Amino acid sequence: MTINFTLNGSAETVTLSDDMTPLLWVIRDILGQKGTKFGCGKAACGACTIHVNGEAVRSCSYPIKFAEGKKVVTIEGLGTLDNPHPVQQAWVEKVVPQCGYCQPGFMMATAALLEKIPNPTDEDIDKNIINICRCGTYYRMRKAIQRAAEIKANELIETSKTS
Amino acid sequence: MNSNRIVLFVAIGLLTIMVVANSINSNGDYIPLDSLEISAADNTENFSKLMDVLTHPRCMNCHPNDNIPKQGIDRHPHYFDMARGEDDHGFKATSCNTCHQSENNPYSGVPGAPHWALAPASMGWQGLSHEQIAQRLLDKSTNGGKDHKALVEHLTQDKLVLWAWEPGVDANGNLRETPPISKEEYIQVVEEWFANGAVIPVN
Amino acid sequence: MGENKKVSRRKFLVRGAVGTAGVLAVGTYLFRNPIRRQILAYANSADSPYMGSGVEPLLWFELTSANKIRLYSPKVEMGQGTFTGMAQLAADELEVPIAMIKVVHAPSITGNIDSFATGGSTSIASLWMPLRELAATMREMILAAAVENLGVPKSDLKIKNGVIKVNGEQITFAELAEKISEWPEVDTPELKKISDYKIIGKSVPRVDLDDKVFGAPIFGMDVDIPNMVYGAVVRPEHIGATFITADVSKAQNMPGVLKIVEEEDFVGVIAKSFIEAENAKHAIKVTWDAPTNLQLADIENKMKVGNGKPTIIQKNGAEISDPEVQMEFTTPIGAHAQIEPNGVVANVTEEGATLYLSTQVVAITQKEVAKRLELDTEKVNIVPTFLGGGFGRRLHTPHAMQAAVMSKAVGKPVKYFFSRKEEFQHDMFRPPTHHVLKANLTDDGNIAHLQHDFSSGDVAIDSALLPSALNSFLGADVGAIRGGFCQYLNIPKIRTTSWHVELPFATSWWRSLGLLANTFAWESFMDVLAEKAGKNPVDFRLAHIQNDKSGERLCNVIKTAAEKAGYQDTVINGKAMGFAASTDAGTPCAQVVELSIVENQIKIHKVTCVLDPGLAVNPDQVRAQCEGAIIMGISASVFEKMTVKDGQLNPTIYGPYQMALLKHAPKEIEVILLQGRETPGPVGEPPLGPIGAAIANAVYRITNKRLTSMPFQEALQNM
Repeated sequence: MTINFTLNGSAETVTLSDDMTPLLWVIRDILGQKGTKFGCGKAACGACTIHVNGEAVRSCSYPIKFAEGKKVVTIEGLGTLDNPHPVQQAWVEKVVPQCGYCQPGFMMATAALLEKIPNPTDEDIDKNIINICRCGTYYRMRKAIQRAAEIKANELIETSKTS
Repeated sequence: MNSNRIVLFVAIGLLTIMVVANSINSNGDYIPLDSLEISAADNTENFSKLMDVLTHPRCMNCHPNDNIPKQGIDRHPHYFDMARGEDDHGFKATSCNTCHQSENNPYSGVPGAPHWALAPASMGWQGLSHEQIAQRLLDKSTNGGKDHKALVEHLTQDKLVLWAWEPGVDANGNLRETPPISKEEYIQVVEEWFANGAVIPVN
Repeated sequence: MGENKKVSRRKFLVRGAVGTAGVLAVGTYLFRNPIRRQILAYANSADSPYMGSGVEPLLWFELTSANKIRLYSPKVEMGQGTFTGMAQLAADELEVPIAMIKVVHAPSITGNIDSFATGGSTSIASLWMPLRELAATMREMILAAAVENLGVPKSDLKIKNGVIKVNGEQITFAELAEKISEWPEVDTPELKKISDYKIIGKSVPRVDLDDKVFGAPIFGMDVDIPNMVYGAVVRPEHIGATFITADVSKAQNMPGVLKIVEEEDFVGVIAKSFIEAENAKHAIKVTWDAPTNLQLADIENKMKVGNGKPTIIQKNGAEISDPEVQMEFTTPIGAHAQIEPNGVVANVTEEGATLYLSTQVVAITQKEVAKRLELDTEKVNIVPTFLGGGFGRRLHTPHAMQAAVMSKAVGKPVKYFFSRKEEFQHDMFRPPTHHVLKANLTDDGNIAHLQHDFSSGDVAIDSALLPSALNSFLGADVGAIRGGFCQYLNIPKIRTTSWHVELPFATSWWRSLGLLANTFAWESFMDVLAEKAGKNPVDFRLAHIQNDKSGERLCNVIKTAAEKAGYQDTVINGKAMGFAASTDAGTPCAQVVELSIVENQIKIHKVTCVLDPGLAVNPDQVRAQCEGAIIMGISASVFEKMTVKDGQLNPTIYGPYQMALLKHAPKEIEVILLQGRETPGPVGEPPLGPIGAAIANAVYRITNKRLTSMPFQEALQNM
């Protein structure tokens, strides 16, 4: 089966014999983007969280066939060192990561949260950010999520001023 | 007492009775049931089989009364404190569909079916008696405005309902338990029960 | 000591810049400190844990054409911030900005690997002297080379900000290196005064921050090499299962399968993709001889003080035959649950073997692979990667050996990693423990006699990690007794006994080892005794601290924590505080937890943590370690528990293995660092000590019931 979709803006075509192959492995092993992590393969830890058409999706549990015609974004497409996404900028400012392995999943989940709820309350954060971090960076994460919302709001103000 | 359900008193030895009550026809209009002929025994059996299905964890787990979806044959609360959210689809960014897609996933063991979500709060069944469940099922004010025809369609054709017979494998790769009767028998039970007026027996 | 000369000067390499291959310079490194030399002499003779590999010279620094300095680290980075600390140590002595230093994991081919491990919160403490001395020596080599090449006296040269200033002009290290064919040998100079350091002691951002925020492929799981295929190994689901036969006929013909490897001790399958390897693995029907009757209750009954082998570790009094107060505590089996599964990429060719993996034991893994493949150790190059969590789990990485066998068999590089279920069922668990504490008080409410007996499964004993002479302390397990010594030495009679109980499954090192469990027992009991004595828990603790240097440091963290948190032993508006303190590997820590109980759930609002690690090389990262240890400690003590059912270890997935989520982390964590000594001490594990006891002590204030078993959330439901 051949599937077409975009990964971080670039058009991709992959051919697989098993169309139930999790999108995670297509992204990592066929397309070589390693930022999206394998943690459990059971949609339990959230390390593989990406965006499909703007929605947070755990890619270890998302068959490649459903990606047909869709826009897939991973941590590599969220932002760059020169042009970081507000979530990444906040993560750097608050020095959140320790081992770093779970962090892309958290950042993708947070970016999705801020799209839906630009100014999340603690309760919004508690309910939506349910990935697992073993190093225990949660304390800084909450601060970074709040800071990211602030950066994003300021960017919106800047954009509306210039346009 | 709602007018769109009937209460059947079963007389010992009387296999066929005439019921004087009101029900709704397939167009959703109220009709007198004095002409309807029902086998009490058959009706009771169908009703009981239907309830065995609806109260099985495969169905009941997504009809909670506390906004918390349940999981597994032991009906434990959904891990990670997932809950109903504002629209029965979980939370805004982390929704049911963050993990559950429109098909079961054989690799992750995450179950899936079209429009995977909790049943509306008005259709919470957990902890209710069979009679109360049937009342909620038949009551248009709780069932999303469905008449008998729509209910039969929902119960016998909706892929999320019928997922119960194709629940896939769990996280350990083991097949999930299905409801106590086959899908075919269930469909027949639903059709017969409704054809016979969707009568709720009372003991 | 005649031995000194042989070992006191060690060679190290500065590998050359600008496209030149090989070694440009060999430096010598004289350990200045005579005590250190003696330790080194002992270490070399007794093969005890020391960072050097014995292979000389060691590659420490590499100058690159971009005028960067690559620092080859013998320690691995698993989140603890060691790379950042190392960059800071080197930068200050090299006189270069921290951005000029790129810390990388030293592959074993460099010789610069730790023959022991990365663990025990020792990395920065153990590198504190040698790394600064190495950096200073390199600085002197660069200066000496500049003198030779530029023909100017040393007094005209100055290194500042990574460039050599010469009479108003400047030259970079890389430019100088281009001119040099042979580097001069210099002696290790005096180190700078600590007060002169500009980077050490500052909260510079983590050096790996950008890689980790922008998704760089830095972990073992991310390694991709050309022609790589995927391996999987069939593992039993039951404790103590032994392999009988395997039927591979179905798996052999499955899509993508390249080869099935049947060894005496494992069956592996190699396929073109991970999914194909997994599918084939499930199709292999293995017959195991597996006992299926073992239950958690059996383990709990086994793990009792009085069973197994006792070793008295603190003896200043007899056993208490008529205790005034007696209590028992238990802790469950704990999983590491690190998010990156164990995995490896092995590439075995005729030339030798190269393995890329997340490991805390580079040298041991190298030896294991060499032995299995019957290769000389030098033919096996272990390339460590960033670890997606360590916590002690990666002190055992024999899967490297299995991947190497599969790679050799298939003639291609093989990537092999654990499924999450395998991670949970084949973890090297934190052992369950049982504690019995007894005490008698004096008439004026002080402790007259204190006894703690604790039992634990293996932590260090039977570990491949330590030479057998070192894994026990007078016969007790050195891991299990972490936190086992009573820190209140102003008690007339103390008796502490460690009981070693053998378990039917593997247990081992889990961040802080016995500290979490032992402190839970000690510090819960201290609150019990304080109440019995009618005293404030903080004052009661202070009264039993010995008047010496370590006692003074412990006093200071306790007093500061009580003061900063405004500690009170009463419930205010449904909130209560719990106090606890511990001393681990010379680092005292005190914590105050503020919590309430909402709908029978423990809700932790704030933790105040006072730690005295000595000099904090990077205060922000020391704070991060405290925050992380506190949250991991909350997770372990409130939620986590492995169980045994019908011979299987369960659960096998996150969720059923409940762990703290973001919402369970306190919204306030205040970390206060004291500096009770001049040099850096252990940081990563000590703050895991007090948290469990502090929570239990706070819960007692609210409920008037004492939590005596972890996980607390389960204990609370059952109370």
